[in-house]
Amino acid sequence: MRAKIGLEVHVQLLTESKLFCSCGTEYEGKEPNANTCPICLGFPGSKPKVNRRAVEHGIVVSKALNCEVLPKIRFSRKSYFYPDMPKNFQITQYEVPLSRNGFLLLDEERIGIRRVHLEEDPARLVHVGGDITSARYTLIDYNRSGVPLVEIVTEPDITSTREARMFLSKLSVMLDHLGVYDPSREGSLRVDANVSLEGGQRVEIKNITGFRSVEDALNYEIIRQRSLADMGIEVKRETRHYDPESNTTHSLRKKEHEEEYGYIIEPDLVEIEVDPGWVKRLAEGMPELPDSRIERFTEEYGISRFQSGIIVNTGLDLSEFFEDSCKLHPKPRVVANWIVTYLLKSLNFEGLSLKESKVEPESFVELLELIDEGVVSERLAKELIKEYVSLGESPLSIVKRKNLGLMRTEELREAVRAVLAENRKAVADYRSGQTRAIDYLLGQVLRRVRARGRPDDVKRLIREALDVDEIVPR
Amino acid sequence: MKNVIRKATAIDEKFHVFNTIADRLEAEREGRLAGVAVSVKDNICTKNMETAAGSKILEGYSPPFDATVVEKCRNEGAFIVGKTTMDEFGFGTFNVNTPYSVPVNPHDTDRSCGGSSGGAACLTAVADFPHLAIAESTGGSISCPAAFCGVVGLTPTYGRTSRWGLVDYANSLDKIGCMAKTAAGAALLLSVISGPDEYDSTVLGVPDEDFTRRLVDSVEGLEIGVPDEYFAEGVDEEVAKLVWGAIKCLEGLGASIQNVSLPHTGVALASYYIIAMSEASTNLAKFCGLRYGLQPPLEGNFEEQFSKVRGRGFSDEAKRRVILGTFARMAGYRDAYYIKAMKVRTRVIEDFKRAFKEVDILAAPTMPVTAPRFEEIAEMEPIRQYMMDMLTVAPNLAGIPMISVPCGAVGGLPVGLHLMADHLREGELIQAAYAYEVN
Amino acid sequence: MTESLKIDRELVERIAKVSRLELTEEELERFTEQLKGILNAFKEMDEVDTDDVEPSFHPVEVKNVWREDRAKRWDWDPLGNSEHTEGRYIKGPKIT
Repeated sequence: MRAKIGLEVHVQLLTESKLFCSCGTEYEGKEPNANTCPICLGFPGSKPKVNRRAVEHGIVVSKALNCEVLPKIRFSRKSYFYPDMPKNFQITQYEVPLSRNGFLLLDEERIGIRRVHLEEDPARLVHVGGDITSARYTLIDYNRSGVPLVEIVTEPDITSTREARMFLSKLSVMLDHLGVYDPSREGSLRVDANVSLEGGQRVEIKNITGFRSVEDALNYEIIRQRSLADMGIEVKRETRHYDPESNTTHSLRKKEHEEEYGYIIEPDLVEIEVDPGWVKRLAEGMPELPDSRIERFTEEYGISRFQSGIIVNTGLDLSEFFEDSCKLHPKPRVVANWIVTYLLKSLNFEGLSLKESKVEPESFVELLELIDEGVVSERLAKELIKEYVSLGESPLSIVKRKNLGLMRTEELREAVRAVLAENRKAVADYRSGQTRAIDYLLGQVLRRVRARGRPDDVKRLIREALDVDEIVPR
Repeated sequence: MKNVIRKATAIDEKFHVFNTIADRLEAEREGRLAGVAVSVKDNICTKNMETAAGSKILEGYSPPFDATVVEKCRNEGAFIVGKTTMDEFGFGTFNVNTPYSVPVNPHDTDRSCGGSSGGAACLTAVADFPHLAIAESTGGSISCPAAFCGVVGLTPTYGRTSRWGLVDYANSLDKIGCMAKTAAGAALLLSVISGPDEYDSTVLGVPDEDFTRRLVDSVEGLEIGVPDEYFAEGVDEEVAKLVWGAIKCLEGLGASIQNVSLPHTGVALASYYIIAMSEASTNLAKFCGLRYGLQPPLEGNFEEQFSKVRGRGFSDEAKRRVILGTFARMAGYRDAYYIKAMKVRTRVIEDFKRAFKEVDILAAPTMPVTAPRFEEIAEMEPIRQYMMDMLTVAPNLAGIPMISVPCGAVGGLPVGLHLMADHLREGELIQAAYAYEVN
Repeated sequence: MTESLKIDRELVERIAKVSRLELTEEELERFTEQLKGILNAFKEMDEVDTDDVEPSFHPVEVKNVWREDRAKRWDWDPLGNSEHTEGRYIKGPKIT
């Protein structure tokens, strides 16, 4: 049974000041209510004023999503009561969105974008003495109140959890490339999902934070709806909440009345005319988008499209890392290989993002040079990358510190002799025709020299040593 | 200055015009308002001076900032003498809808001062010290009390004065204006408080004007339009007679009169109230017992707490308007009410624009009656009270400037002559008012 | 064109809930009656032909007002009017 999924993605825009007032938008680590003013605290007598850059970001996002930007911008009041709402209405765009009717390409498929609009973020709540359902009271921090959000609403074109995950991932990378959003900032991307299965009505799951949670929530919900359908129970329209702790969705407290948003045009703000020339300039000034970048990497650096895709789709910082590294190393293919095959693996293993690890292009390229020069074996290099990621110490420094360069041939011969002396049985096996025994000996030597030898070289030295040694009479 | 406070207190004891009186008067600068005590309507923020907009739900609110208009007055050397009483949030025509002081008409203390800027009008009438009043109008709240109390009330073009610091009633209708004993006083105060402001997006970007330069005793060549609909049924005969007299007087001074028609006058009332209540119901949503004003101990969940605080803190009229305003915006009704009213407003504006192609200003009675008695008001159904605004809502809806000047009395009760002009033509109004006053 | 309007007690009760207004029985009754009267009087709006009329959300048109993206600190105490606070947080009622 195919699912029909639509997403409403709320993204915090990167601006210096809030959407309707001049308070700063940084709130992590700040004292509660330090970045506030009468406007974002909804004091009587205060009035909003539109942040131009937020509108520009919104237009740029619209263009990147192939949307039609509307000629006039108007804001609306959406009324509802909640402790995180300083005015008990949110200034958003209802009658007239910023843009509409666009799409995002996912492999070859188009995911329709119904509309894109701007709105303000509410305050942050802390539930004291329990969770949202059991707390004794609430603490409110308005630092986040008024931060600009762009809301991206898709058509229900997404048909699986995997597709939803891919969509969000691609959207996130694109927004990162545009420079309008910071993926590392907690809560900067939140999703409401609408899910229905054939024969059932639409269920809305509100306020899911993080890609992982979206995937989990959708998986759970689809299974839930499917089992209801199997039992012959019709899935009815409702709103649910995803709980990451229990990995379930549950029904929000049944309200006696449906929320009446009672939209009116925001009377404290005036119409903004969108000059087509301005939109054109913004579109032309857009940074390179991921799809274009993948094309360019493939062509310019001669690496495979697959590798380009991985590098670009992992994140903007990795793209930049790749290009910076290519400036320092003559072989992009080598750089790409080592990034895609080993660096990413180590980062994933350690659970670190590139930014969080202290990996730098210079030191990374140094390592590649050490391999080229024969100072370090590839096997050792893989270990060094792991250590670089987890310790933050540059490979060159580790090599020097631990004296890890490739051993000279003389030293290797010593090691070979020692290993052969300790492993008479393996030697005998080899001589009696079990040629595989050489691999065992190889492993022992490499272990002894702590990978400071190239396997091919060491194997050759072992063979030499075995052939030179006295011949055991058959 | 102590003298002024003493006098203000004495007036307050007699007429109940203040919600707050300053405990000391300070002026930090010299300027055009040096030596003048400026009173501020209670819905306009004054830094650190209680501002409750006539409502219990804002009791104790001490604004952390001055409204722009107040700041401008201070910059010109004015003293802020106190906050004048009003109908809660501006909801009323008689200044009786408030748990705070209800001001009494200086011409007959059994009668209303008019509203919602009743306190301001009364104080203006009786002040025995240099005084100017900052007031506010949404549907006629400056004109009405000015007429009932016999003073000059000037409502400027929408967007002429900044609304930053005004506790909103209806954002597309609210205008901050002035009251004074004479046209000159009003002109001076308007010159000070008008002008652009970066904090209010709806302020018109027109340069500052010195309206005192229009205090010229001449109406030669002035074309005055008299709208048929404003002298129709519903307007008291005596009132109409006096107003005609005043218009004739202007004619005698060199103006010419002609009849005009504003066909959407009747329906302007409905359009005005629907728009006003729709916007007001959203503006009042912020009052829920958090951050300022009435904040009883926290009990129950937020739904219960909010509902309780609002149930207790709002008066009847506020509740009625919130309910009606919420209704007019609700899905299913929104097109027939909120959107329809906005379209009717376009028609009303068209009426005025058409008229102003033929004439310079319009003249009519400000109110259909003189100040009613408090007992009469208590008997009036809400809809009857709303209809009292019939002559002021249309120009307020259209955002055009207007001035009410005293033009006589009926049985000792003042009557106001209402002059209206096209957007940004306050100059014409001041000149005509001044000329009438002087002659 | 609106038909004869069903402003009844039930609707008023619902609106009161939506707008978070706790009303007494008496208020509910009284308001329902009064609102009927008021809306009846406003019916005359229906008579006005507004088929090809644009709504006027403001009486005077101002356009294109915005501000540059620069952060400024507002020098004040945000908790200055709050009765209920905890540390630098504003304290509010629980959710459910």
